[in-house]
Formats: sequence, C-alpha cells, structure tokens
Amino acid sequence: MSAAPTFANGINHSPTFPLRVVDGLTLPPEYRKALRPGEEWKDATGFPRQLPRYFYEIPSWDSAMKIELASHFLLWEFIQVDVREAAPLRTFPRYVPCAVTLLAVCLERFREAVGTLVHISANGGYRSPSHRFSKNATPHAWGTAANIYRIGDTYLDNRSAIERFSLIARETLPGVWTRPYGAPTGYAEDHLHLDLGYVISVPRDVKI
Amino acid sequence: MTGKDVASQPRPSTGVSATAPDEAALQTAIEKIEKTSGARAIAVALHDFETGFELHYNADRWFHAASTIKVPILLGVFAAIDRGDLLPHSRVHVRNRFLSVVEDIPFRVESGRDANSAVHNSIGKMMRVDELAYHMITTSSNLATNLLLGVIGPQSVNDTLKALHLEEGIDLKRGVEDELAFDKAINNVVTADGLLRILVMLAAGKAFSPALSRRMMDILHGQEFNQGIPARLPKGARVAHKTGEISTVAHDAGVVYLPKRKPYALVILTEWDPTTSGRSRTIAAISHTIYEALTRGPVDE
Repeated sequence: MSAAPTFANGINHSPTFPLRVVDGLTLPPEYRKALRPGEEWKDATGFPRQLPRYFYEIPSWDSAMKIELASHFLLWEFIQVDVREAAPLRTFPRYVPCAVTLLAVCLERFREAVGTLVHISANGGYRSPSHRFSKNATPHAWGTAANIYRIGDTYLDNRSAIERFSLIARETLPGVWTRPYGAPTGYAEDHLHLDLGYVISVPRDVKI
Repeated sequence: MTGKDVASQPRPSTGVSATAPDEAALQTAIEKIEKTSGARAIAVALHDFETGFELHYNADRWFHAASTIKVPILLGVFAAIDRGDLLPHSRVHVRNRFLSVVEDIPFRVESGRDANSAVHNSIGKMMRVDELAYHMITTSSNLATNLLLGVIGPQSVNDTLKALHLEEGIDLKRGVEDELAFDKAINNVVTADGLLRILVMLAAGKAFSPALSRRMMDILHGQEFNQGIPARLPKGARVAHKTGEISTVAHDAGVVYLPKRKPYALVILTEWDPTTSGRSRTIAAISHTIYEALTRGPVDE
C-alpha cells in the first residue's frame, strides 16, 4: 500500500461544500468492518471490484437535510437506509462515498429531462457492502446507483413506466446503465435502477 | 415465565366471590350455536383470570390462521425488540415486493385487498417498526405484516414461540397473501388453544417483560374491526383482540376486560363454506354466551 494520505487540514476546502473527506482506512474498526474501504468485492459475475476508500463524513441528519448535492437533490435523499443496514452506519456521523456527488449531478440532468420530481427510494441510494440487500458488488455501495420508485405522480411499478423512463435516462446520461424490467435477479419490476458503474472518486484534498 | 408455566400457574385468588360457570352447560350452549350457524366447524378456547375457569371446545382442531397469525408475528417482532435486534422506532423500507415460499416467485400485496391505505401510501419511503406493528394488528395490514416478517424472518417467530413454549398449536410457514402457497395448501394454521396460550401470556404480562407485554396489549386494544367478540358485549367492555377472515374461515381472538373483575382470554375459530353468511354474528353470539356465563353464573338452558 502507498504512503498514508494526507488531507489539507483534514477538511474539504470547497467554499460551498462543507463535508469533510475521510480515509476509510483510518476509521474505527466497526466502521471499517461495515464499509470495507478499498477492499475487493466480486460482482454477480464473479468479477472483482474495488470498493471506495474515501468518504464524505456527514455529521448529522440536520446537515444531510440541508446540504445540496445538486439543485434539486439534497444529501439525505441518498442515504436513507433501514434496519437492514449495518448498525454503526445507521447513526451519525455517517459516511458516503465521494462519488455520490457525480450521481447527484447525473440525476439533476435526468430530472431536467423528465421535467418533474425524481424520488429515490429508501435503501435506494448509498448502502454499504454490509447492508442485507448487498449480496454481490453493487454500485449502490459505490454511491453511484439510485433506485427511483416515483417520478412526479407516476409510480415506477409496471413495465410501461419503467421502460419509458429507462429510455429517457439512457438517452440523457451517456454511459448510464439501467436494470431491465422483470422479476428475476438482475431485473427490476417496482423501481427504475440506474447506475454509473463502479466509479471511485478521490477528491483533490487527498494527497496520496 | 413460559407458556407452560402460565398454563399451570395457580388459579388467581381475587377476593371476589366468583363462581365458575357450569362447563357442561356452556359446552351445550356453544354446540347449539354451532348447529344453527351453518358453520363447518367451530372451536372455542377460554381462560378466565377471575375464576381460573377454562373451556376447551374443539380447541385442538387446526384451522387456517388467516390474520390471527399476526398475533404470533407481533410476538416475534417484540422478541426482536427485547433482544435489541430492533428498536420500536427502527425504520423499515416500505416495498411491495415479496417472494413466495413456492420457488421464490415474487408477488405483491394488492392494495384493494388491504384495509389499510397508510402503509401502501408509504411505498418507497420508510415506516417505523412500531407503526407497522400497529397497522398490522389494528387494521390488519397485510403489507405491514409481510414487511415486518421480511425483517425478522418466519424462523425467528417460530424460534420465539419455541423459546416461550408456545409453539404447540401455532404453525407459521409464510407471510400473508402468498397465493401460490395457498394454492399448494402451504398455509399458516392455528388451534384455539395455541392462540389462547399466547393471549394468556400477554395478558399476564409475562411475554418478555411487563412493559413489552403491555405495549403489545395496547396495540391489540387498538383493533378497529369489532364485529366479532366485542359486538354484543356491554359498553364498558374493552377488548384487545385480533380478527382473521378469508373465504372459508372467520376468527376472533382476544382478551376481554370488564369493570370490577379480572379479564378473560377468549379465542373463537370458525370454518365455513365460502358462500355461507352469518360469521360475525356467530362469533358475537358465542362471545355473548360466554360473557353471560362468566358474569351471571350457570348458563340457563
């Protein structure tokens, strides 16, 4: 492993983005166990993927409710998890991979294309590799996937709605992947899953 | 304390001059109701905390549990709370997608078949464990039931029943609205005695702790379907109960609290041809007969 990273005073110096970047490898053991920073994790095909190592630290729910990742997306929308998430990751401070900002920008672009509200479901934004839904490497654990259950007043729980908005997403966001409609594993029938792949973001604050 | 302990505990001394009813006369009265009701089968189990009187009428016969299975599931949820695996305010993702016990085929709970819209309106969001438990019992929300069972797992409920020595007479195999399982006769089944043992434990405050027992009883007190056991009881009666009904069964199981006496736990299970009516009326009649017997002495034939 390379030399330990250093941070500019341990904080992100962006004047508009207040979250501190942390190296997951420096977190207490219970967090490292749940987040598995930098570890290898195999996807459904058995291909190894490397988990994110750098995270934004979210000090409180109040801050998550206030921080804008994009004009129409607040941070809290990406971190809603239920009892299936590992216990340490359900209390603050919480940690989210730095690439979540890229997802937010993409969703903002998608929102412009559909012209109405885009709702991310619970457990449908970032969830850790320890989440009970996380059986194989999923971009949700990279902070680069979203499960969208409603767009405006339309619930995405049928083929027509899912395929229509899936097409809009693929036309709007180059390189985005959407889960095909269907019931088997690898398909989705009650939400639109879209992701950017296994993207890792290392902010400039990190000096490796 | 276990279910067996509750069943064998000394009969309470109340200081009140209470006379146990004539068991034979009560049996006869219930037989009479059964014969005129048109029901295929009726089972009744009763435990009176005031006198210690018990009645077991056909009480070891198995019935499709319908929504009465939600009482054991409630117990399983509170077992998870007692263990610290869940908190009452733990949040659960409301998602209407479940896997059948038959080949893991996905299914949904049809909103039109669920009396509760609050849970369906939260799809995509999260609800608290205690909110879901409340909806599971008071309006018999099938969606809430399957969500809670999805979190704790059927095996956890069965383990809880076993740990409390309550497994006899309760056979939980799956969640609700699993039509594929129903078609293959894979059903949750109960006996009147099985449900009675749970209710006695809850009413005695012996399920996990007095505080948790009280919380479960509070939820049962919120029941909104009152056409069965409570229907012909006096206005002063309070009933903590759970109903259950599908095309071929109608049940009610609860604890009846009356002024100036200790409560009694009562389970009435009934089975019917799909086209036969009068189910609630029959349950209410049996409940009334038992009330009369417990409060006014021997049943007048």
